[in-house]
Amino acid sequence: MKKLSLLLIISALILSGCWDQRQFKNVKLALSIGLDEGSNGQMTETVSIPTVRGGGEGPLEETVQILSSDAHTVLDARDKIDRMISHSFNPSKMEVLLLGEDLAKKDIYPVLDNFYRNPNSNLNAKLVIVEGTARKALEFRGAGEMRISEYLNGMLEGAEAASRTTGENLQMICAELVEEGEDFTLPLIKFDEEEVALEFSGLALMSGEKYTGEKISAEQAPLLMLLKGIKGRFVQLTRKVDDNEEEILDYITVEVMKFNDDMKINPSKDEIKVDISLDLDVRVTEYPHDHLVSEKVIEDLNKKLSEVLTAEAEQIISKLQEANSDVFSIGRHIHAYHPDVWKQMDWKTMYPEVQFNTEVNAEIQQHGIVN
Amino acid sequence: MGFFKDFFHKDQRADRRISDESQEPKQPSTRNLSNNIDYILNALKRTEDLKVRILKKGDAALLYIEPLVDQDKVQMNIFNPIEIGRVDSIHDIPSAKETTNLEEAVNSLLRGHAVYLEDENRRVSQFSVTSVFNRSVEEPANEKVVRGSHDGFVENIMVNINLVRKRIEHRDLKVKFFKVGKKTNTNVAILYMEGLADPEVVLKMEERLEAIDSDKVQSPGYVEEFVEDSAFSPFPQMLNTERPDRVVANLMEGRVALFSEGSPTSLIAPATFFMFYQAPDDYNTRWYTGTFVRLIRLASFLIAVGLPALYIAIVSFHFEVIPDDLITPVKSSINEIAYPPVVEALVMVIIIELIREAGIRLPSPVGQTIGIVGGLVIGDAVVRAGLISNIMVIVIALTAISSFVVPSNELSTTLRLLTFPLICLSATLGFVGLIFGFLFIAVHLTKLESFGVPYFAPVAPLRLKDLKDTFVRFPIFMMKNRPKDAHPMDYKAIGESREWKKNEQSKKS
Repeated sequence: MKKLSLLLIISALILSGCWDQRQFKNVKLALSIGLDEGSNGQMTETVSIPTVRGGGEGPLEETVQILSSDAHTVLDARDKIDRMISHSFNPSKMEVLLLGEDLAKKDIYPVLDNFYRNPNSNLNAKLVIVEGTARKALEFRGAGEMRISEYLNGMLEGAEAASRTTGENLQMICAELVEEGEDFTLPLIKFDEEEVALEFSGLALMSGEKYTGEKISAEQAPLLMLLKGIKGRFVQLTRKVDDNEEEILDYITVEVMKFNDDMKINPSKDEIKVDISLDLDVRVTEYPHDHLVSEKVIEDLNKKLSEVLTAEAEQIISKLQEANSDVFSIGRHIHAYHPDVWKQMDWKTMYPEVQFNTEVNAEIQQHGIVN
Repeated sequence: MGFFKDFFHKDQRADRRISDESQEPKQPSTRNLSNNIDYILNALKRTEDLKVRILKKGDAALLYIEPLVDQDKVQMNIFNPIEIGRVDSIHDIPSAKETTNLEEAVNSLLRGHAVYLEDENRRVSQFSVTSVFNRSVEEPANEKVVRGSHDGFVENIMVNINLVRKRIEHRDLKVKFFKVGKKTNTNVAILYMEGLADPEVVLKMEERLEAIDSDKVQSPGYVEEFVEDSAFSPFPQMLNTERPDRVVANLMEGRVALFSEGSPTSLIAPATFFMFYQAPDDYNTRWYTGTFVRLIRLASFLIAVGLPALYIAIVSFHFEVIPDDLITPVKSSINEIAYPPVVEALVMVIIIELIREAGIRLPSPVGQTIGIVGGLVIGDAVVRAGLISNIMVIVIALTAISSFVVPSNELSTTLRLLTFPLICLSATLGFVGLIFGFLFIAVHLTKLESFGVPYFAPVAPLRLKDLKDTFVRFPIFMMKNRPKDAHPMDYKAIGESREWKKNEQSKKS
């Protein structure tokens, strides 16, 4: 009996073995996937599959295969792509997921469903909206950069460090996607025809599960991030503060050292008031005009900078309201703290009516090692 | 309770010893010289190296086994006193040990003594003229240290006990001799500190030694397998060492050391798992260094046992955990390997074991050549040929190096063996298998006992105080108590030794 059970255990180990195996060498990894709207209501999935050889000696030889197929759903398309390649297709190391503009303007949850459902998928991947088609972005081969996934990932990491995006990945977006009274932004990239490069062009404003078509420009994105209370490794703002003959003398570039944002939401029956104040302690990193000698000059600059930034913040907020994109999660706040108010109103129609009172105060604390 | 138990057991033991002695054969000598010689010759099966020197014109004889005796000693101890004229008869030489039992004479002949017999006399004189060939007490090649004492045990048990006694000049150090092996009659000694070592452990050791019923006992390796608790466990339950300082340190912790004639290795019991990771070097360097080195050594345990298994589990089941930036290098190196990772790993492990085994037995210049040919040439060629990926070479090489980090050779071989089941488990079940494998090892270690003492102490059972000398090494003056695992009778090891510091400070203020 003992021998028999031992035999059974051993054979269970040896014979069943490798059943669940997924050999790393036998998969084709899709490191970036693009989804576009196709013809006849179908969708197009484009993948870039790198194949590397020559591990061990010499330089790595890498060939990238870009395939795309039209299909009804994401997995249907994947199935079609799988038929075109050697070994089996595997998206579990996907680094970026690109959505074409037209597709994103429709509901995006249906195309993301598989990524959330499958435990193997990489929820750490970044989601990006492309102005134009995702296919075009994926086909781009930058000089020096080996892979489009590496290129895009690096670009997004840089944008996150410079506080241009929230740096959210698929997992973090999921909650915002399904939550009522909360919207989010997605990084937007476009193909720059002149420079022949991909470019981070701003933040796409989402309303519910749809891309509104409105965007916050890359220049204004850091301010929006600060208003939201997010700061990456650094925030740099270049603003016009003067009106001189020579243009270069008009501008000041500051880096935000410390910031303090405060949002007060006062809901009442018929109107909702939101006060947003943002205090910035900044360091001057570039001021071609020079002569930051006296207190007065600095005082004037503080004032001017505050004015400019306040105006800009108001501009951003009006754009958000126009797009009906509640990126500050004001709706959720009301839902949580003022449920009776929440019940009585329809947030989607209420949001554009919200009265925002925005104030940005900038104060120069340091001006580098020269005056 | 324990005391009564000991008391009871001791009585029992004493009884048995007496009965043992009564069984020893006796053969009274006769007054007839040739009868006596005949008896001895027959007892020794008329072996031809037994030399019989006829003296006094046939009235007396000196017998000895020629290869065992030193001719100079025979001359000096037996003939010189006569020649000088200090004594009249060889029987009168004071260093002689006398008996009338011929059986005893036979035994002493085998020990290398010379036996003198006279006609018309029942007295048998025995002289110790054994020739001893000792190598010098050199540092053992497999337990070298950078700082600290550089002597090591030799094949002579007396020299070994001498080395220990020189280091512990205390009346409590007790030696007990045992004759083990019915034919080889090997001298085995156990050493312990009376009043410090747990009597139960000593008793267990004695009982088990006496229970050995074997024709030959060649080395401590033999003894170890007879006396250890779980002979089927992969882990060694007695610490082997050839270093006197290590034996002394363990004796002072209340453990028992076992020596056997003809082997420089001493066995220390009870042993714990973490003892195998303590090296004399830890205590000879500053404690920061000692701690750092010890942590590295313990990390090497995990690497040696688990790294190949972990790698296999990752590349054949869970490649999602590879960091994004490593994806391409890893993929490119394993993409064109013909075999699955398990086969790769097994082939590589076997290659390394072959090189190691070939290197040990060969003389050192050839051994080095083998190392170079094996390590460099095969390692490089195997990657170029596409049989094994270069990452696998790194993994296995790291594993092999880690297994050699363990200061004890026994545990090192154990670790290399444990790799195989884990490789198989992780190749069939991935991380699940790996975790189960580690779980089995942990359960086994926790369950294992060495002479009634938990093997995995002080981790299981957990005793925070004893962790001072487990994963880290605290300064010596802070390890005031002996570790509890050996059940020492007296816990206190160090008193206030740095009071001068307080005194100095109070003087200043």
